Amino acid sequence: MNIFQSVKMAWRSIMAKKGRSVLTMLSIFIGIASVMSIVSVMEGMKDFTRAQYAAMGTNVVNVSIYSWSFDEDGNSKAKDYFPDLYNFCGSIKEYVDGVTPNGYASATVTYGTKTTANMEYKWDEQSGRTISAPPRMSFGSDQYSICNNLTIAKGRDISYLDLERYNQVMVLGKNAAETFFGTMDPIGKVMQVNGQAFTVIGVYAPRATGENADFMLDNIIVFPYTSRRAIGGDMMTEFIIKAKDSQSVSQVITRVGGFLKGLIPEGTGGYSVYSQSQWQESENQYLNMIGLVLGGIAAISLLVGGIGIMNIMLVTVTERTREIGIRRAIGAKRSSIVAQFLIEAGMLCGFGGILGILVGMVLSYVLGKLIFHMTIYPVLWVTLSAFGLSVLLGMIFGSYPAVKASKLQPVEALRSE
Amino acid sequence: MARLIELRDIYKIYSEGLESEVRALNGVSLDIDRGEFVAVVGQSGSGKSTLMNVLGCLDIPTYGTYLLDGVDVGTLSDNQLSKIRNREIGFIFQQYNLIPGLTLVENVELPLVYTGMDPIDRRERALAALEKVGLADRYKSFPKQLSGGQQQRVAIARAISDEPPIIMADEPTGALDSRTGREILRFLQELNIEGHTIILITHDNGIAATARRIVRISDGKIIEDRQQEVDWK
Repeated sequence: MNIFQSVKMAWRSIMAKKGRSVLTMLSIFIGIASVMSIVSVMEGMKDFTRAQYAAMGTNVVNVSIYSWSFDEDGNSKAKDYFPDLYNFCGSIKEYVDGVTPNGYASATVTYGTKTTANMEYKWDEQSGRTISAPPRMSFGSDQYSICNNLTIAKGRDISYLDLERYNQVMVLGKNAAETFFGTMDPIGKVMQVNGQAFTVIGVYAPRATGENADFMLDNIIVFPYTSRRAIGGDMMTEFIIKAKDSQSVSQVITRVGGFLKGLIPEGTGGYSVYSQSQWQESENQYLNMIGLVLGGIAAISLLVGGIGIMNIMLVTVTERTREIGIRRAIGAKRSSIVAQFLIEAGMLCGFGGILGILVGMVLSYVLGKLIFHMTIYPVLWVTLSAFGLSVLLGMIFGSYPAVKASKLQPVEALRSE
Repeated sequence: MARLIELRDIYKIYSEGLESEVRALNGVSLDIDRGEFVAVVGQSGSGKSTLMNVLGCLDIPTYGTYLLDGVDVGTLSDNQLSKIRNREIGFIFQQYNLIPGLTLVENVELPLVYTGMDPIDRRERALAALEKVGLADRYKSFPKQLSGGQQQRVAIARAISDEPPIIMADEPTGALDSRTGREILRFLQELNIEGHTIILITHDNGIAATARRIVRISDGKIIEDRQQEVDWK
């Protein structure tokens, strides 16, 4: 007996009991839909974090240097280690593209009537995304843009001379430039930074584009770190090193770590060196774990659905004992009977699976929009494996009733009512 | 050439050794040749249905040897028995035993499905068999749309669709009125004339009287086996 014939027969039996078939499918459908939407949402979130990290630049090594020596008044005796780090990085150019402080600058920036002092956070009602906020201000070196995946769109970047000469200049991100200057050209404009005159020398090209664009990624102002003298602020403790490529990252971590160990006198402070890929990895692991837990819960619902299938198939076998007897009497082999019931269970689950996939797609789209404000596309491998899984489940849970059916003695089966 | 059917000391014993032991067949020996029309007659509980189940390879005797066409059926695997039921024997049951979810033609071609015949030939053979019992025009109907006599004719068509040498009919007229019953018997006689070996199981002496050979069974034993002249006009 060929497969086509078996499929046709299974279809007949499924259609003969429509209500029951639909209920059976329902049990698989719920499981598949939940597995599907959970995995899709998880994959979507991973993509999202991946995109965020990519926007901030890859092959980045973060360095923190902290001090725990204080004078009698409680003021930090921390030394500015950046020039040493800068020179060291210059000496390992084969591994390093750039190095910069990643210092947080707290200042009031004013141009005309616009001032960061009264800028408010605003969110888009629908997407929940930030659409307006005070810019994030940083102190950086001449290599700040290299380290942060930034390029100059207009004007010029911070130069080494700006650092050397304590120049009071600034570079704006696209969103910060628009906030202050609208459509005007900001280059050469003089702004007040904590009362000091600073000249805008450049504007960065936007880093984040498209639907997932994070407003804050381009809502930035960068000052040469030496201008801290004029603006004020804490000693810089955070630094970013941009490694040449992914292979160089571990070299950079080892070498910079060794250098800092020798540089910082024992007992006065410490340091940490870590790559962003390590961060990203641990974040991915975290997401994977959540996914596993949620997926496990959904898998339980699949299991329950599978047992439902088994139950229904057992009832079907009992109801159709006589038919099995007839088939056996006119020449059906045991294997033909097993195949018939397996295919029937597989088809039932397959249909349930297809329904589940469709609803799972819709669910992941809606969940993505509602919770994560992004479009989540179902991943192909998830879709395919969800379908495969549902058919497989049908086969597994259908096999017991199928084998049971085939083991009936033809005489016994024929005798049943 | 070996005889078509040779039964030697066949026993079918249920709950052997227990107090509730039942000997449905208690030492039956029987030879049947090709082309015979045999009626197995007995009261209910006489063991005639068990005999038919054994003859039809639906049941395995507890003791004894069954040679079908010279082959010892007791040594065959389940798959081989399925094949024998499929190719060698056509069954006709009292309750017709058509599959309700399948159309007439699909019911009739079911044995051919298990033979592995390709769909086009299969359909052709099934329609020819339905033609023979006068129901070809209703091939798309479902069993429950038919009267009892018509359903039994479909069952006959199913039994002969695979052209098996042996037709076994278990009380084929039991559920039918006498006129329709005679019609069914007429079909069986025609099949016998065409060369099929017919084994007819019945409790009805009147029906048995139409057979060329009568085997009477009681308490699991053959108590009479005689040939008779019949006129099938």
